[in-house]
Amino acid sequence: MNGRSAGLAAGLMVGLVAAVFLIKLANKDGRFRTEYDERQTTIRGKAYRYAFYTELLAQAVIMCLLMGGAELFVEAYGLVFIGIMLGCVVLAGYCIWKDVYWGLNNSKKRYHVIFIASIALNVLPVVMSAKEGSLFNEEGRIGMPILNICALVLIGFIYAELLIKGIMDKYAEDKE
Amino acid sequence: MKNLKLKSARAALDLSQEELAQKCGVSRQTISAIEKGDYNPTINLCIAICRILGKTLDELFWEDQ
Repeated sequence: MNGRSAGLAAGLMVGLVAAVFLIKLANKDGRFRTEYDERQTTIRGKAYRYAFYTELLAQAVIMCLLMGGAELFVEAYGLVFIGIMLGCVVLAGYCIWKDVYWGLNNSKKRYHVIFIASIALNVLPVVMSAKEGSLFNEEGRIGMPILNICALVLIGFIYAELLIKGIMDKYAEDKE
Repeated sequence: MKNLKLKSARAALDLSQEELAQKCGVSRQTISAIEKGDYNPTINLCIAICRILGKTLDELFWEDQ
């Protein structure tokens, strides 16, 4: 394990701890566990299934690309991360469009703050890398900032879906 | 098939979907899905809804032929 991968592992651990803390903070009752009703639980089960299939497919495609020695614009670890992100997009997207975007004990306001803060926290390293000229490595591929770029695209995409669905629901609610 | 009986029983008590959902411990979207006929609730949720609206299972969930 070199210094860079050790740094990444440490970063992921810190991210995990921060995620636990944020989830507790985002729930109205201060509990780590988000509560869902019976319909939401069923839909989430389906969403996890589709996310799993997406992840499998993505990993198979990535494996083929790497084995075939394809010219890539990112490092191999970035490609794996893109696969994971695709699974997350399917999971979140399916839940959002099937009306399971808020748990029973979620605080919507706090989640909005977390989304915006997450976007800001991921924009910062990308902008810094671009300024320092370290966005691309010696081989001309996007290096470590690819993780932040992927996270940015993922969070931004999910947040946009959430906002659009929220507006659509508000309109439907008014009609009912 | 839309559950108009549930919708009218809720409206008779002047309850919004959100209020009924809170009393039943489910999301507003779940109540909306039941009323629209998009979701078949479990017997436990049917009973909870009936208790809150003061109706029987037959009155709210039995489909007339």
